[in-house]
Amino acid sequence: MSRVLLTGNAAAAWGARLADVDYVPAFPITPQTEIIETLAAWIDRGELPARLVTLDSEHSMLTAAGAAAATGVRVFSATSSQGLLYAMEMLYNVAGWRVPLVLVNVSRGLAAPVTLEPDHNDVLAARDSGFLQLHCASCQEVLDSVLLAYRLAEDAEVRLPVLVNMDGFYLSFTREPVSLPEAAAVRAFLPAFDPGSLRFRASAPESQAVAVLGGGPYSYFRYETHLAALSALQVYERVSAEFAAQFGRDHPAVEAYRADDAEYLFVMLGSFATKARAALDRLRAAGWRIGLLRPRLLRPLPQLLLRELAAGRRAIAVIDQSIAMGGAGILYNELAGALYGMPDAPLLASFTGGLGGRDIAPEEFFEIARVLRDAAARGVAPAPRLLYTHDELREVRKLQAIARAERAELAGDADE
Amino acid sequence: MSEASGGTRFGNVKQLPSAHLLGSGTPMCAGCGGLEALHQVCDVLGEKTVFVNAAGCMTLLASYPFTPFRGSWLYTAMASAPAGAQGVRDALDLLRQRGQLPAAEDLQVVVLTGDGAAYGMGLSATSGAIERDLDFIYLCYDNEGYGNTGQQYSGATPHAARTATSRGPGGFGGDKKPLFDIWAAHRPAYVATVIGAEPLDLARKVEKAAGLRGPRLLIALSPCPTGWDFDPRESVAIGRLAVQSGVWPLKEYVDGRVVHTKAPTRRVPLERYLEKQGRFAHLFRPERNAAVLDGLQAAVDAYWDGAATT
Amino acid sequence: MYRIRFHGRGGQGMKSASRILGTALFRAGYEVQDAPRYGAERRGAPIFAFVRADRRPIDERGIIRRPDLVVVADDSLVAVPAAGVLAGLDRHSLLLINSHTGTATWRERLNLAGPVLTLPAAAEVADRAGLPHVGAACAGAAASLLGAVDRELLQAALEEELGHLGEAVLAQNREVALHAFDAMAAHSGAVRTRDEPPATQWTAPDWVELPFEGSGAAAPAIHAGGTSALVPTGLWRTQRPVVDYARCNRCWWVCSTFCPDSAISVNAERQPVIDYDHCKGCLVCVAQCPPHAISAVPEHAAALEGAP
Repeated sequence: MSRVLLTGNAAAAWGARLADVDYVPAFPITPQTEIIETLAAWIDRGELPARLVTLDSEHSMLTAAGAAAATGVRVFSATSSQGLLYAMEMLYNVAGWRVPLVLVNVSRGLAAPVTLEPDHNDVLAARDSGFLQLHCASCQEVLDSVLLAYRLAEDAEVRLPVLVNMDGFYLSFTREPVSLPEAAAVRAFLPAFDPGSLRFRASAPESQAVAVLGGGPYSYFRYETHLAALSALQVYERVSAEFAAQFGRDHPAVEAYRADDAEYLFVMLGSFATKARAALDRLRAAGWRIGLLRPRLLRPLPQLLLRELAAGRRAIAVIDQSIAMGGAGILYNELAGALYGMPDAPLLASFTGGLGGRDIAPEEFFEIARVLRDAAARGVAPAPRLLYTHDELREVRKLQAIARAERAELAGDADE
Repeated sequence: MSEASGGTRFGNVKQLPSAHLLGSGTPMCAGCGGLEALHQVCDVLGEKTVFVNAAGCMTLLASYPFTPFRGSWLYTAMASAPAGAQGVRDALDLLRQRGQLPAAEDLQVVVLTGDGAAYGMGLSATSGAIERDLDFIYLCYDNEGYGNTGQQYSGATPHAARTATSRGPGGFGGDKKPLFDIWAAHRPAYVATVIGAEPLDLARKVEKAAGLRGPRLLIALSPCPTGWDFDPRESVAIGRLAVQSGVWPLKEYVDGRVVHTKAPTRRVPLERYLEKQGRFAHLFRPERNAAVLDGLQAAVDAYWDGAATT
Repeated sequence: MYRIRFHGRGGQGMKSASRILGTALFRAGYEVQDAPRYGAERRGAPIFAFVRADRRPIDERGIIRRPDLVVVADDSLVAVPAAGVLAGLDRHSLLLINSHTGTATWRERLNLAGPVLTLPAAAEVADRAGLPHVGAACAGAAASLLGAVDRELLQAALEEELGHLGEAVLAQNREVALHAFDAMAAHSGAVRTRDEPPATQWTAPDWVELPFEGSGAAAPAIHAGGTSALVPTGLWRTQRPVVDYARCNRCWWVCSTFCPDSAISVNAERQPVIDYDHCKGCLVCVAQCPPHAISAVPEHAAALEGAP
């Protein structure tokens, strides 16, 4: 095992390479493109015996991915943001086909307005598609999660596609030390793909993904897919334990950081959660009993585990890096749903931050902790808050002034 | 093999396949010209096929747990059947390379879509598949409208046809998109027009396509009793008139050349074709719309004048 | 609340029947629901449409499971289980069959707990899928049996629903609808509404904990070929192609190749054999046979004669 500096994108590519994938349908989109470029270079140099094909769109890419998996080969693909949404019809489709494959999503804010930096509205839009979801907070986790994802996807109990998520820029373009497992060790953990009945053969006619008319059979197939997703909870526990034994790195379904005796918790997804870790270390040093829960597995949602981990706390701040227009925070709702009805459930507070890559400063975590403590003392949840400062609004005002001024000048020109 | 057979095993109608491989019991309408063409195609291609389907009438061919196919099937979505074919073909090739799939187990990958997907939503995926030189057959059953949703006009609807979204006195104001030309402009291995009413021509072309590799694309004009509004028993007669009137030229593109395989020596007036279909009834009743009818005839004549000079 | 189902074949105007009756009841001051049952219906295939009418806003939706009135446009459907004509009929439900066969015969044949009436069908036609104006006749008869709609309202509804087809078509429909209305006048009001059983009398749904099954079984996949042979599309047929083997010239290929449904095979003597379980009755073979050796026989007539 060697330790090297890798970007999140390179770590994802290494995950695919170590998983010995057969087929990579691709389509470029920032900030994911480095993944397919890396894989293409390895394939061109003969270092990875796979086939990479660039399709005409992400919709086509996911179709080809699902079709190849349905034919019985191991498939890897990657996308981001608009690409994930463009492929959305096929995410639902491919999950319904019950085919295993791994799709890495590099999170990026959604248009409009179009932007490049990350938030989680893209990946959360896919949360009920039937793709299982693993959310990563480090480049190491990206690599490890790709390997875990194949075990999860290909498990005979599960047979569902898995999405591995990382944040654009903060992971995708950021180098960190990553331990590269030995290929032989990976092969022991992740044997060659056994497609079972997933195949097309002349001697065994098979009609896959056929139409189903009538609510009775339709409900059956949809609910079975749900049951398969739920079964992935136990499979994940088993597989991640095996992974820890093999490689010495533990990736629980929910990371609980300094949470054992915590009265207060932050709940976050993805790489920004490490910012919360850094902040709460400082809060701890100042005498706070505060910790962090970071669901790695969002689908299936580890509801019981979240209830166990939330039990006995005074208050929890859910910091959503996404926005549900006209609704409440998405992760907030997930947690509220998981905890509802729990006796002595902790008070929940909803914060939205990090949209389009907007930073979350340590002081903001400190302030969130203060708000939590005051709310718990009063026994009343605070109103939902966007993490946004007067300085930021002043900057927007300047931009607006320019946008208005140009228009006014143009109008003035026309008058002359 | 005779020249007339086009180098195929089908010298005359007596040599057409007598065993039918596509099963009965499908939910297609009685008299479906698309199903007629499909069963003829299956008879020539044999059982070693995997059909990759896009949303359309024929999506219902495989409705759980019923399928008429003796081979395999994968439904994808309306826009991306050729991409599904890419995934299947690439996976089969990988398995072949690795010795995990004996040659006898390999399959011909066939995309099956209606005109809605072929002329419109799936055009990008098709263009991509051709540009990647994907080894597949594409069969478009063209009934000139979104038939499965009740025959709204599509990119394949001919000028003046009345559809569920062109009920005005003039019918559809646009023109049928030249899909054959669009496909041929990509310079694939093979493009052909066929029709179930001319089974010998169809069989020869399918046989020829099956023997080539690369993108091979077939458009089957599919008389549609439901969408075109005619008695189902007229399905073949109307199909034949489409050929005899010259409005559906039977042709093929191969090696950079377009050849007409069954050019009518003396074209039947187009009106004979149009008057049999309810979708054109407004051109004849309450009074004959000479301007539109003459325009439609002129377009057919111009096509064949052009064909004669090239 | 009135609950009415119309059964017919694709092409017989059951949707029109439900709309004509729905409009008439609406004009009579009722709250109304009318809808066709959409699926993969094709011409000739069994379909149905339904109407609900009440003096109060209607909260019920979807399929009518316990009808007060069932109207059957095509009597050949009564014996077809897949058509579901008799579904939910009990002693309360009135069954009206458009038929040349008499009421007594139907009562004896069906042995139902509830009342059965027949609507004397208009002159028989060769192709029942094109049965003229039968939708209007069914609507007229139903309106009369309900007793909730008078002739004037029925006429207004016909005009509203069919006026766009032109005066000539409207007039023909009006004639058959009013004829059917008058023919049922003796039974006006025979259809009665009924109260729903109280919520204290109910059978608990037999809910099941759905077992978790492997993707091999629980994916929408068919692990065999040719299973559609189990679908009896022959039920769609309203006319039957019959081969006169004396005239058949044993070309073997024309009817068999042109049959869209692969329903004509050729035997060792090079004679065509029609698979009536699957032949949908498109009659392309009749139209195409060079020596005219295949003729079309109305299905109801063929069935009566016990033809193959």
